[in-house]
Amino acid sequence: MKNLKEYIPDLDRCVRCGSCRGGCPTLGAIRREWGSARGRLALIRAHIMGNTVDTAVFKKHIKDCTLCGVCEVACPNDIKVTDIILAARAELVDKEGLPLGASLVMKGILDAPKLGPLALKAASKFQKLLGSKEGKSVLDRFKMPYMPMGGPERSMPKLASTFFLETKEARAYKKPPSEMPGGIADGPVVAFFAGCAVNYLMPDLGLKTLELLAKHGARIVVPQAQACCGMPPLSMGDMNTAKSLALKNLEAFEGLNCDYITTPCATCTYGIKETFYNTLSGEGPEVKARIDRFAEKVRDITDLMVNVLKIESGQVTSEAGIEKRSVTYHDPCHLARGLGIRDEPREIIERSGVEFREMKNPCRCCGLGGGVGYSNYELSSAIAREKAERVSATGADILATACPGCMIQIKDSLDTNNVDVEVKHVIELL
Amino acid sequence: MHRFDDNIKKALRDILGADNVTFSGDELLCYSYDATGKEFLPAGAAFPATALEVSEVIKLANRFNFPVIPRGAGSGFTGGSTPVRGGLVLSTERMDKILSIDSENFIATVEPGVVNGDLQHEVIAKGLFYPPDPSSLKFCTIGGNIAECAGGPRALKYGVTKDYVLGLEVVLPTGEIIETGTATMKGVVGYDLTKLMVGSEGTLGIVTKTTLKLIALPEATRSLLAVFNSLKECADSVNKILLSGALPSTLELIDGVSIKAVRTYSDTALPEAGGLLLIEVDGDSESTGREAALIEKVCRAGGAVEVRSASDKRGQRELWGARRAISPSLKNLKPDKLNEDVVVPRSNISALIEGVGVIAEELGVVIASFGHAGDGNIHVNIMIDRTDPDEEARGLKAVEEVFALTLKLGGTISGEHGVGTAKVPYIRMELTEEVIALMKNIKKLFDPNGILNPGKIFN
Ligand SMILES: Cc1cc2nc3c(=O)[nH]c(=O)nc-3n(C[C@H](O)[C@H](O)[C@H](O)COP(=O)(O)OP(=O)(O)OC[C@H]3O[C@@H](n4cnc5c(N)ncnc54)[C@H](O)[C@@H]3O)c2cc1C
Ligand code: SF4
Ligand code: SF4
Repeated sequence: MKNLKEYIPDLDRCVRCGSCRGGCPTLGAIRREWGSARGRLALIRAHIMGNTVDTAVFKKHIKDCTLCGVCEVACPNDIKVTDIILAARAELVDKEGLPLGASLVMKGILDAPKLGPLALKAASKFQKLLGSKEGKSVLDRFKMPYMPMGGPERSMPKLASTFFLETKEARAYKKPPSEMPGGIADGPVVAFFAGCAVNYLMPDLGLKTLELLAKHGARIVVPQAQACCGMPPLSMGDMNTAKSLALKNLEAFEGLNCDYITTPCATCTYGIKETFYNTLSGEGPEVKARIDRFAEKVRDITDLMVNVLKIESGQVTSEAGIEKRSVTYHDPCHLARGLGIRDEPREIIERSGVEFREMKNPCRCCGLGGGVGYSNYELSSAIAREKAERVSATGADILATACPGCMIQIKDSLDTNNVDVEVKHVIELL
Repeated sequence: MHRFDDNIKKALRDILGADNVTFSGDELLCYSYDATGKEFLPAGAAFPATALEVSEVIKLANRFNFPVIPRGAGSGFTGGSTPVRGGLVLSTERMDKILSIDSENFIATVEPGVVNGDLQHEVIAKGLFYPPDPSSLKFCTIGGNIAECAGGPRALKYGVTKDYVLGLEVVLPTGEIIETGTATMKGVVGYDLTKLMVGSEGTLGIVTKTTLKLIALPEATRSLLAVFNSLKECADSVNKILLSGALPSTLELIDGVSIKAVRTYSDTALPEAGGLLLIEVDGDSESTGREAALIEKVCRAGGAVEVRSASDKRGQRELWGARRAISPSLKNLKPDKLNEDVVVPRSNISALIEGVGVIAEELGVVIASFGHAGDGNIHVNIMIDRTDPDEEARGLKAVEEVFALTLKLGGTISGEHGVGTAKVPYIRMELTEEVIALMKNIKKLFDPNGILNPGKIFN
């Protein structure tokens, strides 16, 4: 990753045209120039030149960006706004360290040796540390970055009693098919990447994915040594943790001899497919070649189902009575802008037989990303409120999306704003 | 004034609430610039929500004698919203509500901070149409559009912002809140203060509310791309199309320099050509078909070697992709550009284009011309590298010569971007001393203490 000063030429290319104000979700909620990319870049430039007066003000405005990428699409000069903001955050963390809560989560849970019992132990230790009562979900009490924890006011799935990787279904796939007796002899070998949200909060979504993969002819492997994708620490500026996680994941998936690596989490897909290059850019050409081999195999679950496993309408068994229901779809930032995947989720919806109703501006960020769900719940939920309103305006019964993070965020917002709509992952329609 | 004393700060906080005014140096930095890229630090930035608050702020400014600079999105190209003399930037970002869209009377009432594109979306959803479409529509505000009398490609058929402003609520530079105009399509009682306000660049009053005219949304559109080997044939065809009886909603010209830049630096597929016309017609599916056929015939007769056409959204987007690719591509020719939006009577477009070519050659600078040729408004982009002082000097010379040429051809030196600070040195080329004196007297009458947006238009 480049350090902040190396971005000066990029900052100089900003002509202050203001195109990046259009559609910026934080600007929409904050309604001040410093809530936009142009304002943030102006602040960062002044900061590098030693012209900012108050670091607290600077820090706040740099943190308030959801990294949704809308500004980058709008920018006529191709300025990589989110990279620059990440570099600014990394520099802040370098100088000042992470806030205590975030640092405990990063090191203790996300970067735990395994996404398993040890992490749980760590989590429960923090629970005690923070004095929460027995029986209450640790996550209710404890703000975990990116996986939006936000205090008692946020509605959240409870911490799973058995984490996904600990379930017997997942454990049954812990070895690659080549080392397993029986099973289907051919079909692509698909390695499953769980990600934190699926592992800790939504193991059922993981199990559902395994079931679908198996049903559509994939041979599955779920490596137990996998780790968090690294997006939470990356977006908070914690480069050391992000690096350590990226390396762990490379190791866990290398040598499996798989054809594809998939996950139902849009953020994880983006994280493991796109960001390792940046995170590990200082590690030399050999690591770069390893990332190439790894990243090339990563496919989002919607992409994999439609373009590789080629689900056909005939094969799809949908929930009974689904054709009487209607669904609207939210495009996760990391899938739509990050990876250009917009059609596949909609194709899955079409094949499920449910009535589809497009909402206004489905690509608008849900407000969770970039650590904003963690660091500024008020802003995060203000952005989400707009999403809830747009969902509600469609009159659909179901909001489907392709990212557990978005699911949690939108569910919270629908609940808070009394919108009675069910939230599902698109693949749960199958 | 570059710093406020505690009295002023306290008074502003009392009027607006502490959250809606800032004196933080870092935050003020964000209100120091617009799309010209120049920075001038204000002493404060205020975020009023109502006309009453604006009025209180203005009264305070008169009492303590500090400048107030209205600001929308800060996308202006002439420095209009920059606080060149310090003072208080008054942002309309919180005044961003669409108050009503009346589908019976075809009018909308909005606050000034509403983004043009957001209004377009809302009215289209009701089968209505707000035609002014500056290329900045996704981010510029209606208040800024009114203050600059913004226009866009559709001006040819539908006119510019001033043709759609029926009435205004304005806070005068002395603090009174007045209403101008009517909520009807006609109205001639007294002087037309609405028209005076439109295009006044935030120097005569702060718009706090406006009533806009809407029209029915055309049912169908069709786009054409006509390719010419010679730029002259291309430019000549503009007027031939308009004389044929066709009235396109937009008629954009792209010159050879721009085409070459797009072909070299972007993925947009464009044929090699001396000039292109991008044309859109709207109406019902029958009339657009007929009009498109007529235009195609005229273009071919005028020397077009190829004419492409699209009636579906995707095809149209592809054709227009060329237009969007120009600005980013030009950056690769030279890092800086002097972007002038001159207008000539449309029968003189060909002469303007030709003359600009001569100026470019004589001064040895690269000039790319493109724009809304149908209404005679051409964006003349003089490409320079500011780190080369000689080239910059030649660029500035070219600006002056382009202006002189424009005026000789019966035109004006700014069609839509306004004077702001950027064109102050040139207004005497276009306006006589008598006219300037009259304008200054009008300004004085409105703003005896000179607090509203000083340093703009005249110095
Ligand atoms: C990429 C790009 C493309 C553009 N394309 C076009 C185009 O096609 N056509 C065109 O006409 N312009 C164009 N512009 C210029 C610019 O977008 C317009 O001038 C627009 O109207 C400015 O709106 P704004 O909200 O950004 O106003 P600002 O830049 O904030 O302000 C502009 C002026 O309006 C005044 N003002 C703002 N709000 C108020 C108010 N409520 N009351 C009184 N005065 C006020 C300010 O004091 C200032 O003088 C373009 C700009 C960019 C960056
Ligand atoms: S990434 Fe998204 S939130 Fe951040 S500045 Fe860009 S548009 Fe705004
Ligand atoms: S769109 Fe790009 S060039 Fe324009 S202000 Fe934003 S970052 Fe700068």
